[in-house]
Amino acid sequence: MTTIDKPRIALVIGSGSVKCAAALGLMKVFEREKIGLDMVVGCSGGSIYASLIALGWSVQKATDTTLKMWTREVTAKRNTRALLQLALPWLVKFDETFGLIDDSLVNRRFREGFAGATFADMKIPLFVTATDLYNGEQVIMSEGSVAEAVRASISIPFIFPPHKVNSRYLVDGFQSDPLPIGVAIKEGADIIIAMGFESPYQDRITSLMRYNFQMSSVTSNNLLKTNYAFHNLAHHSEIIPILPEFEHKIKLFDTDKLPYVIEEGERAAEKQLPFIKGLLGI
Amino acid sequence: MEIIDKQVDGVTILSLTGSIDAMTAPQITEFIQAQIAKGNTKLVADLKGVDYTSSAGLRVLLGAIKETRAQSGDLRLAGIQPDVQKVLNLSGFTNILKTFADPDAAVASYK
Amino acid sequence: MGDKKRITLVIGSGGIKCVAAAGLWRVLQEEGITIDSVVGCSGGSMYGALIANHVDEKVMGELSRTLWTSDIMSGYTESLKASKDGSLRFNEHSGLVDDSVMNKKLREVYGDLKFSDLQIPFKVVATDLLAGGKVVLSEGSVFEAIRASLAIPIIFPPWDVNGRLLIDGAASDPLPIDVAIQDGADIIIAMGFPLDYRSRFRSMTAVQEQLNSIYINNILTSTYAFYNLAHHAEIFPVIPEFDGTVSMFDVDKIPLVIERGEQAARKQMPHIKRLILE
Repeated sequence: MTTIDKPRIALVIGSGSVKCAAALGLMKVFEREKIGLDMVVGCSGGSIYASLIALGWSVQKATDTTLKMWTREVTAKRNTRALLQLALPWLVKFDETFGLIDDSLVNRRFREGFAGATFADMKIPLFVTATDLYNGEQVIMSEGSVAEAVRASISIPFIFPPHKVNSRYLVDGFQSDPLPIGVAIKEGADIIIAMGFESPYQDRITSLMRYNFQMSSVTSNNLLKTNYAFHNLAHHSEIIPILPEFEHKIKLFDTDKLPYVIEEGERAAEKQLPFIKGLLGI
Repeated sequence: MEIIDKQVDGVTILSLTGSIDAMTAPQITEFIQAQIAKGNTKLVADLKGVDYTSSAGLRVLLGAIKETRAQSGDLRLAGIQPDVQKVLNLSGFTNILKTFADPDAAVASYK
Repeated sequence: MGDKKRITLVIGSGGIKCVAAAGLWRVLQEEGITIDSVVGCSGGSMYGALIANHVDEKVMGELSRTLWTSDIMSGYTESLKASKDGSLRFNEHSGLVDDSVMNKKLREVYGDLKFSDLQIPFKVVATDLLAGGKVVLSEGSVFEAIRASLAIPIIFPPWDVNGRLLIDGAASDPLPIDVAIQDGADIIIAMGFPLDYRSRFRSMTAVQEQLNSIYINNILTSTYAFYNLAHHAEIFPVIPEFDGTVSMFDVDKIPLVIERGEQAARKQMPHIKRLILE
């Protein structure tokens, strides 16, 4: 294989809620080693950290921002319209705007957290993925408001309503690809650092909701694996997986575990560092 | 399989006519290899005259994409016919490569 | 190349649409193309078994009429109601439907047939509900394998095969071409059915169905992409096209579905024959 003079490096952060903060740990290592990124791609939870990294904010500032944006309160307010849609469908018509949680708070939190930034303001080119509710295809966002794109990428099924961006109804990015390496390939990356997370399985299935969550994990993990297999064959250069391991279960709002998550991300990155440095010739 | 090459703004347009499949794969590979050997790594494949592509055909296209990208180039597709578009969608290729309505738009994308 | 090429037929998941396999089977017989083995997933496993047993395509159409009737959904409406008022108890063995009618119908067709009784080798793909991975079944009772592979999650109860709770193969591999690859096929004829999308959502179930379809179709694309690159020989996709949707119990559309399967098969025939004769 011919060597590339100056390889373009992409960081892809897959879906995985708070676990995605492990990307900040990776950035600590990369900053120390002066490894620069040419693009960042994020999906679902990963889109938050992809955006914070693309903004060029420090790990401390990124952590503080996460703590301000992502708290349990964002899912605390029930969507009264949704409850009526379920209980009295003949009175309140059911439609694609359905979501059990009122998303006005999370929308405001993202707007404040990202301080009105647009993709054009990013220090590193940023791509955020979501899924088109009507045709199931991956949608790549790289223009306009970052807060809007992140919100669309995190449309947790049934919890948050789909989010309308440029007249398209978008649902969570993990529905079409939990680890969107394809975006980095398409955008011309050479070395792709891919941080991905498998969706956890239920310990016990005790209700219809838990069965639903189990199915979502089953299908998204199968999608993660087959896409990863395809991208590995399709890419002309290296894809380096960084897979942090967590002894403790990290739940949707476990932001108190952020320092631990970041530390594990750092550890996983250190493990791959010699190989990455070898590739870069540094 | 008929292949014609043309240079536009430092980009090589390959116009293909016929089927891209196991039978024509060796010929296409050889043609593209010769282009790359000449240093032409910014390629556009104009598929207006291609009505069929099989799995062997897809592997040929991918081989060219990987090789050009490894040399800071690319292979981008233009003029894709509906039947070929279906195969490209089904096989996930549209997620990893860039496609354009016509060769001019594909050439412009290299700027 | 003088050696005879090994041809495997793969029939993917797609509910009643899978009866299109009867049209493909007709074309293959007319063209004198001999199939060496068959792989089936979900609805596709029902027809795969019949092809592997060299059942006449006319019989396949007739069987479909009796199988895809709405009584296999008995108990669904009541369960759905119970799920809304909170009285529904649900665990990993549950389904919203009472599956006794479906089981009886499938038993009538497949009886005590064993994989080893079939004319040519046959494999069925299902998904492990708890571990999430793909499971390939190729031994023992054909009925059990098909029933497991057909278990649409939430709707039908999973099926226990050798101590594993199995559900719909579509959740892991809706068009399992890899099974054919592992069996050493040179030519793979793959009949697949992308799921239809909705344009309106009038209920929670509709949203749920749409999200599920998005997953399955994306898995279909990514597995197909990978298998195309990973396999040395040719894969011929046979994707029948339907104007508008064909819903689960559209038994009146069976002749049309078979016809579309036949059309899609004919379109690929010149390419398949060229490769066989090469």
